[in-house]
Amino acid sequence: MLKRLSGGHVVDPATERDGVIDLYVEDGVIVDPPSDGRSADETIDCTGLVVMAGAIDIHSHIAGGHVNTARLLLPEWHRAFSSRPGETALSRVGWTTEETGLRYAQMGFTTVVEPAMAPSSALHAHLELADTPIIDKATLVVLGNDDLLLSMIRDGESENAIADYVAWTVASSRALGVKCINAGGSAAFKENVRKFEFDDVVPDYGVSSRQIVKTLQRAVTSLGIAHPLHVHCNNLGVPGASSDAIAATMRAAEGDPLHLAHIQFYGYGTEGKRRFSSRGRDLAALVNTTPEVTVDIGQVMFGQTVTISSDELRQFAGRAQASPRKSVIFDHEANGGGVVPFDYRRKSFHNALQWAIGMELFLLIEDPARVFFTTDHPNGAPFTTYPDIFALLMDRSVRQAWLEALPKAVREMTSLAEIEREYTLNEIATMTRAAPARLLGTADRGHLGAGAVADIAVYRPGADKAAMFGTAAFVLKDGEVVVRNGAVVKRTFGRALTLRPEPDKAMKARLDRYFDDKYGLSARWFEVPDGALGHNDPFKVVPCRA
Amino acid sequence: MDRAWIDGQPATSDEALDAAAKLLADAVQPFVGGLRTDVAGLRAAFALAKDLGAIVDHADSATIEPFLSALRDGGAFLAAPAEMRRRADRVLVLGDEPATIGADLLTSLSTSEPDLGVRTRGSGRQIMVLGTVAGPVEGHDGVTRIDCASDDLVDVVGMVRARLAGRPIGEGPLGGTTIATIAEFVAAAGFGCIVFSPAEVGALGSEQVFGLAADLNAETRCSTLPLLGSDNAMGAALLSTWTAGFPLRLSFGRREAEHDAALYASDRQLSGAGEADCAVIVDALADGAAAAAPAVALPAIVLAADPAAAKAAQIGFAVASAGRDHDSILYDSRFGSFVGQTAQESSELPTAAAILTALAERLGGRVADAA
Repeated sequence: MLKRLSGGHVVDPATERDGVIDLYVEDGVIVDPPSDGRSADETIDCTGLVVMAGAIDIHSHIAGGHVNTARLLLPEWHRAFSSRPGETALSRVGWTTEETGLRYAQMGFTTVVEPAMAPSSALHAHLELADTPIIDKATLVVLGNDDLLLSMIRDGESENAIADYVAWTVASSRALGVKCINAGGSAAFKENVRKFEFDDVVPDYGVSSRQIVKTLQRAVTSLGIAHPLHVHCNNLGVPGASSDAIAATMRAAEGDPLHLAHIQFYGYGTEGKRRFSSRGRDLAALVNTTPEVTVDIGQVMFGQTVTISSDELRQFAGRAQASPRKSVIFDHEANGGGVVPFDYRRKSFHNALQWAIGMELFLLIEDPARVFFTTDHPNGAPFTTYPDIFALLMDRSVRQAWLEALPKAVREMTSLAEIEREYTLNEIATMTRAAPARLLGTADRGHLGAGAVADIAVYRPGADKAAMFGTAAFVLKDGEVVVRNGAVVKRTFGRALTLRPEPDKAMKARLDRYFDDKYGLSARWFEVPDGALGHNDPFKVVPCRA
Repeated sequence: MDRAWIDGQPATSDEALDAAAKLLADAVQPFVGGLRTDVAGLRAAFALAKDLGAIVDHADSATIEPFLSALRDGGAFLAAPAEMRRRADRVLVLGDEPATIGADLLTSLSTSEPDLGVRTRGSGRQIMVLGTVAGPVEGHDGVTRIDCASDDLVDVVGMVRARLAGRPIGEGPLGGTTIATIAEFVAAAGFGCIVFSPAEVGALGSEQVFGLAADLNAETRCSTLPLLGSDNAMGAALLSTWTAGFPLRLSFGRREAEHDAALYASDRQLSGAGEADCAVIVDALADGAAAAAPAVALPAIVLAADPAAAKAAQIGFAVASAGRDHDSILYDSRFGSFVGQTAQESSELPTAAAILTALAERLGGRVADAA
């Protein structure tokens, strides 16, 4: 069936279109206008509306063991959702897999990446993702604190052997890319190390964080994985040490692609009487002059949330600030992690400055194709705060109103008031559509050109940008209307985007022996079996680069 | 071979499904329980329960409830068994239940040594059991046992915490010197591990154990391995949590999921003392019956791997056994997550998921959507 989206203002930076254009959709993909004069079977009137590709979130913790532990830890918030919508801090979290899919779709997001899947939790993560309706999903698998990788580096094994191990991990876990989280830091924490810098070495292995990052960066590149190594740096949240860590990591990119996650949490200096200050301007300048690097923000918004991270060392340190005062710390194979509830308060100097630093980074990083729109859901804020963040980026007067509500001491510590930039619709579409698709290597989305999947978000423009992006006028997923006037009208299921590198047979045999001998585990348990997810055709394979 | 029964008489699957659908349609408050099945069966059971507005629980959720309760009240330190096998140099085993429900783990820990970590590798592994039996680790090198009754464990752990914090302690059930010995044992670990059964020590005891781990982590490293008695119940609780936001003992009676550990417990509902007036019970595992199957005082639709159990119900279906007769996804505590299990045998019996989905379709729900 041929559908026509007529009369809408198409904002599609990937195809350099920004004007009133009719779009055609058939069999779930965008097609060229019919040349034979064939008329559409159905027309969706988009006159006066803004039409973009479906948005892509490259970093949002929506599934897996740690996310589910956060649900277990905080049942009171879910009850709050049920009985008092709109009244409690976490009433908009998107707490279940069901809500996650529906709420993302309502905002016009159609692809979301779960960025921290432990190899041992891959099947669990994919089971949750398979239960998440409408959106397409993808995962990044976590390496960099695992005994085998650290041993291979220590023992001087070849780059090929290490790449084979990475390929096996990506293939078994059905991931789209590789992430490393405080490389070596969790392994060091198991040795009772409490602070871990980029050039510190993990006891017993003699391997530094820098070596781990560089080794994984080379492996990812050599395997042709499109998404650059996704790095969560050392010293997250530590004033001074965090910005040193991210600067050192950025310089270590050395001309090759590297993605740095939630950089807001690294924009902290030690100036001022509270020994907490913004280094947003310096960090943005460093990003601007390091073209091989991409970043996402991890914007903080005010209210109750929960932090979920495989950075066990930093989560352990964060226990002291847990609100409510309870947390779960995991000592698993490799990374482990922690779940720590957190309440970002507008009246808190620290929290308000965190908010301002995120804004500074968004606005001072010049290229919207290298800075990605995230709250590190739910670590900086739930993804349901996105509409407010769009408004803050697009409207200086909204920012001003927020700034005026902050403690005076914060206003004195940020240059935010002086920043005049307002994101344009085209820049928003670059940051949330075109650029993420390029970053992930998913050429079939992020644009509205012929051949793209017909994942389309249609918004009703207005002065209130939060209203505009909070409830899409229409959302099409694979060519079907799934949202109309902000309400889900059809509940479909998307797929998980995965790479499928062919694992080396000798490495597979080696890993069978390794997991059995060392851990008493079957290597098969790390695999996500084809039939496990309960959907027909649950995966869509994205090719590696030649 | 008969596959379905109504009041003990053989019936076709269609007849039994029709009768079951009528029974459920006429019920005021259905209950969906047992839940001894794989992930596919659980998904189908939850989809049916949502459609019915049912109360939901697992037959063995009593074995995990104290753990979940302690975790959400005060947080936890949790380890993976395989990591502790490589890392822990000192293991404190609390109580008598670990010797039975954790026999494989204890054997694995007592027959291996830590091989990771400067602080732990090469020093061997010491195991201290506080209980009346040492079970499978009895007589192994490095194993000591301090006689301690289950009922005294909570007090003992509390006294160990007090001792470590430098607070004065009395004699208690074991005597102050013994408490000091235990405290020194755990404090001197490079990476300590506490093995315990939450069902044995209760929610309060579990909270004490997590508190002890938290205290120890101020200076050294320590984590815990709670032994949960039923992997299947834990898997069901995890799926329930991502599906409904709560770990079992919940009700969809008012559409949105509501959780109440006492109100929606299997025993209360199936005994007739609760709100339920009709039950769907899934018992589709090969490894024997539920730990303590309660008497069912309600009209029941039973899906069972044991045909005799199905035949004895008001309406019964013989179903394939998850993990044995068909490929399944099941939670496995050795791994700490879900694993794929390949079928060992072939069976012509339908899966529990297939029967539950067929039942939901007869009731006109949206179960197909959820599959």
